[in-house]
Amino acid sequence: MPGGGVARRPLHFIVMADCSGSMKGEKMQALNYALRSMLPHLVAWERDQLQAQLLIRILRFATVPEWHVRDPRPVADLIAGWQNLEYVYQGRTNMGAAFREVAGALGPGELERRALRPAILLITDGLPTDPPGGFEAGLSELTNSAAGRASLRVAVAIGRDASSEPLNRFRSPEAPILVADSTDDIVDRLVAASIAVSRMSEEGANRETLAQTLMQPPAGPAPEHADDSIL
Amino acid sequence: MAGEGVERSRDRAGTWQVLTATERGAAHRASRIPNQDAVAALPIGPDGAVAAVADGHGHSRHFRSARGARLAVTVACRAAQDLAPLLARLSGTAEAEEVIRADLVPGIVARWRDAVREDVAAEPFTPEEDVVRDGDDAAIPYGSTLLLALAWRRWLLLTQIGDGDIVGIRPDGAALLPVPGDPQLDGRHTTSLCTPAAEGSFRAGAVDTAGTPLLGVLLATDGYGNAQVARDWEATVSADLARLIASRPAEWLASQLPAWAARCASLDGSADDTTLALVLGPAVGRSRDPAPGMP
Repeated sequence: MPGGGVARRPLHFIVMADCSGSMKGEKMQALNYALRSMLPHLVAWERDQLQAQLLIRILRFATVPEWHVRDPRPVADLIAGWQNLEYVYQGRTNMGAAFREVAGALGPGELERRALRPAILLITDGLPTDPPGGFEAGLSELTNSAAGRASLRVAVAIGRDASSEPLNRFRSPEAPILVADSTDDIVDRLVAASIAVSRMSEEGANRETLAQTLMQPPAGPAPEHADDSIL
Repeated sequence: MAGEGVERSRDRAGTWQVLTATERGAAHRASRIPNQDAVAALPIGPDGAVAAVADGHGHSRHFRSARGARLAVTVACRAAQDLAPLLARLSGTAEAEEVIRADLVPGIVARWRDAVREDVAAEPFTPEEDVVRDGDDAAIPYGSTLLLALAWRRWLLLTQIGDGDIVGIRPDGAALLPVPGDPQLDGRHTTSLCTPAAEGSFRAGAVDTAGTPLLGVLLATDGYGNAQVARDWEATVSADLARLIASRPAEWLASQLPAWAARCASLDGSADDTTLALVLGPAVGRSRDPAPGMP
């Protein structure tokens, strides 16, 4: 047939993992275990759904962001070559720079035109520690880009301290913050988040209903109505 | 002309020919959702033809969008037919675009809204549907895109609201994109016939094929473009179509179009409803030697 062939639509899924100093020890172990546990659920979803090819990247962030998995990779490849994340000694929780890094990855011409709207999963145990204005500037850069604005943004807070106003500003209106009260909860929250991210990314999905079904009630203000049909 | 499976129509009455195909998306098939795309084509006397494709919105808020798409292609083709007498007086592409904006688009929007009102009158919303509507205007459940090509003698008038693609095929294989893009379309939201701003959301383009020769023009709902691997797929598709149009009879193209739509709508492609209308120029369709080509 005319053209260069056909394929499923790419769904870019970017995991932003807090690797600041406060993640040292049990939290870091739990986060790695949770991420590894999350991946098979994404494989299962990818197998069962009909529209998307899931491509994952992982950005670890502390004082500065650094790609743990820079190039978009199929989930199965990521499982096969999994390498644990490590915390950064005395690393700060600078989210603004991390948002800018993700904004760059989603910038004009970076994604396929036919890509489904990307999904971003932010996992953190603390409040942002950016220099003044840094968080806001980074988040603006992300949400002012077309792909960033359209993205499904889900936050997982490790511990109640992380469930904060900044995460409310990051998340998509239809996606509540998931709170892991203990390290034992991290796996459950990440699995819930991954299932929600994948199913909410399907074309025609009723995201509000799915969010209510698959995730906890919002920790912050009630989400605004999000319409994925008409302008 | 819309519905499940593959449908084809072909008008050979005019010098312009229209080949069409539509295929229900694999995701819709699995979810038991009907094909929400629609396609229609009509002759315009001996010298022209009009073709339209439409994509009913998938969101549950637009629960009658398959009907909305069918109404859209039907009324759009009729509105274009009625416009034909004006075309004889056209002197340039700017004037042609003005005719689209001032006459064709308002006529389409008004007729579509009338058709929706008649449909609602014939089959009022059920109490369950009213719950889903939640106060929405009666047109919202019928929300649809629309892409239209009106071909008459040397003129090609094109207009579009919402997503989907209109690709002109130059004789050298280059793609001509006569209808400007819309930065509002972010893959999540689309402009729509069902909004109050519909008239202003149409984009338009006109081609004088006397000065800008075209082998044809392809109208496609987004299930087609979303299946294409190539980043600039319009160029690749145009080059391939130019070769096929030059080397194959129109009958062969007509026989292949459903397979192309089906491939894009399959699990290997976008899995979305896919609808194509290939409008072939007056010079196309003459006898030609069969040449090796792609399946």
